[in-house]
Amino acid sequence: MPYNICMVSDFFYPNAGGVESHLYHLSQRLIQRGHKVIIITHAYGSRTGVRCLTNGLKVYHVPMLVVFQAATPPTLYGFFPIFRSIILRERISIVHGHQAFSSMCHEAIIHARTMGLKTCFTDHSLFGFSDPSSIVMNKFLKFTLSDIDHVVCVSHTSKENTVLRAALTPQNVSVIPNAVIASRFKPDPSMQDPNVTTIVVISRQTYRKGMDLLVAVVPRICRKYSKVRFVIGGDGPKRIDLEQMREKNLLHDRVELLGSVKAHEVRNTLVRGQIFLNTSLTEAFCIGIVEAACAGLLVVSTKVGGVPEVLPRHMILFSKPEEDDLVEALGRSIEMIHRKEVQPVKFNDELKEMYSWVNVAERTEKVYDAISQTRDPPLIERLRSYYGCGVFVGKLFCIMIALDYLFWVYLEWILPRDEIEEAPKFPYKKFKKMCQRADKEDELEPSMDSA
Amino acid sequence: MSPVFNYCPRDGRHFREDELICPLCDFQRTVDPGPSTQTGLPPKPRHPWRKLLYVKQEYPDNYVDDTFLEELQKNANVRHYEYWSVVLESTVISQHISSIVIFVAVFIYLYLEDLSSHALITIGTVGTAIGYGFWDWSNSKSTPGSNFQRRKIFKGAGLFFLTLLGLTPILKTLTEETSKDTIWALTVILFLANLAFHDYGSGNRRNIKYPGSLSTNAAIFASVVLASRLATNLHVFGLMSFAVEWFALFPMLRRQVKSISNRGNLALTVMLFLTATTLFSQISPAIVVIYILGMIFLTFVCPFWLIWIQRYKNEIHGPWDEARPKIQHGRSVDYN
Repeated sequence: MPYNICMVSDFFYPNAGGVESHLYHLSQRLIQRGHKVIIITHAYGSRTGVRCLTNGLKVYHVPMLVVFQAATPPTLYGFFPIFRSIILRERISIVHGHQAFSSMCHEAIIHARTMGLKTCFTDHSLFGFSDPSSIVMNKFLKFTLSDIDHVVCVSHTSKENTVLRAALTPQNVSVIPNAVIASRFKPDPSMQDPNVTTIVVISRQTYRKGMDLLVAVVPRICRKYSKVRFVIGGDGPKRIDLEQMREKNLLHDRVELLGSVKAHEVRNTLVRGQIFLNTSLTEAFCIGIVEAACAGLLVVSTKVGGVPEVLPRHMILFSKPEEDDLVEALGRSIEMIHRKEVQPVKFNDELKEMYSWVNVAERTEKVYDAISQTRDPPLIERLRSYYGCGVFVGKLFCIMIALDYLFWVYLEWILPRDEIEEAPKFPYKKFKKMCQRADKEDELEPSMDSA
Repeated sequence: MSPVFNYCPRDGRHFREDELICPLCDFQRTVDPGPSTQTGLPPKPRHPWRKLLYVKQEYPDNYVDDTFLEELQKNANVRHYEYWSVVLESTVISQHISSIVIFVAVFIYLYLEDLSSHALITIGTVGTAIGYGFWDWSNSKSTPGSNFQRRKIFKGAGLFFLTLLGLTPILKTLTEETSKDTIWALTVILFLANLAFHDYGSGNRRNIKYPGSLSTNAAIFASVVLASRLATNLHVFGLMSFAVEWFALFPMLRRQVKSISNRGNLALTVMLFLTATTLFSQISPAIVVIYILGMIFLTFVCPFWLIWIQRYKNEIHGPWDEARPKIQHGRSVDYN
């Protein structure tokens, strides 16, 4: 049964990143499977209003204030009227929020529950329990996830983390990994420099990505192996440290700093190397190492978070997040490449079956099937679950939910649902047929010309 | 056992039941012949669940294995305190409170003209000389050979006290216009800041660093504010030099004593406590009672409280925690 699904997150194109591409690809596959999908995000600069992407994927850019790294501040009820209008216009039945950092997603889930819709949430990152920012974030998460139908996590480690943070029933949490489009990461050995071993690093240059380790490791590897080069892509606050390291050790000819790498250039950068290095300190599901393995690189990574679950053992070498261990692991990988003990070129074929978006969409659909069969709890039951959040905070949450409910009733009265027009459905099948016909005509034309 | 595809993983085509190969991309749809042919046999035991993402497992996505949260660690690095050692450690705080109380008492005596400025300057100088002698002696004993820049220290001290003497008239009139109430209130706030930001933890015996410097500044500022209430320039000089000795130099000496011997530290604490009590007993018995009760609470009740409250500690660690990178040889960039 096809569903009308609404994905909500602060993070979507033109912002680049893992969540953004996850949203896009998952939506595309769901559309291919006959569902209707829309995306709600906030306005990016001049990109406001409604945009249509490939295959009729409609994106609503809601005007909102952006405060930090594309995230919006919580507005509590400010988002509700426009959200309700969109939901009613598009006849949405399932609201799927993404990423815990996104307050828009949290609000959407709460309002959707008030309106009696099915909700689902995907968590893309890991949080600790000790630092102040995580504690605040975990409280928020507990609030929104108190009343949710299902949660999706990207790795088993992430599931354990989310279950603890939001006090969920583990049976209500599914693990559905990310995916890659393996055909976009075809290996190309001809791009490699045959005389030297090239180690590629592509990541945001921040503390959490372990740039301090990288800064320590690069000079030691360069000293130890004369025929090793580094290609480092990405940008961030730690870039200055990398540049200093290069200056200090006079490694300009052996360490190439590319700056930020655009999404479509990632593959071309990856295929220049034989080894991919990931030095992250925390990672829910490292899509970077999957892309690298797909592009035919042997992966060396720190063993943190969900990383050990992601790649088969013959594609990856693990190290502790310590300088010495990392140097040792890199040394082993260089040896392996020299002796041709591994054939990374074959990784692509293996991975394309493991991580495909179609698979992800199929599994996500199962989650939708499950949640659309659940019974809607009455308001009092919802309040009870919020009440259990804490001695003080439980009462506060109840007040907030009760107000949300009243606000919804008010909106129903001031803006009756019959006055909200239904948006026409994008005729995906017809569109596909037209595309195919157009493709055929394109194929025919040149042949006719030549004839 | 091989996986069954309902949809082609390459192009998303929905397979019909009889299709074994995807007509669009020739993808082999491997069908498991097991269940259909061996219906009479008992089902094969399932493979154990593995915590991996790259294998297709015959478990639903929301499956919860027995190994769930196996790597969770609770209170992994909690320190268990012993009552008497905490009591001993609490002396750093009681010493500091005593020293503030003593300073306030000294100011009151000076203000009431019960203590002459000459006496205060003499006591301060002699005390500092003895303290310095001890500090230097114990330092050279622990690391022999180095002379700890004695020349530089003496030169600095001389220069400093001359400057202070020169600035005294300015310091005296600096907050003279401000009303008394404001001065007392400000002093209380500043001494509280001094108490809050004092460097209790580090064993730094050579210099003052942030945030300890913030605390020292607050105390000096408090004494500048107080100094404006005094009668003559000599009084102001006496109080200011005493403040510098008492709040900048004395804490270093206290740390030195603590690092050398526990007994000395204890003796110093008792001495400060007795001095504060005797000095204030002339001024206000009520404050003495509050002070003594406060000290008992701090030294004997608070450690017990800390140990008792530890049972509520619930610290969770697991593989999701941010790893701490260990840099062994590389010269990491120094931010300090």
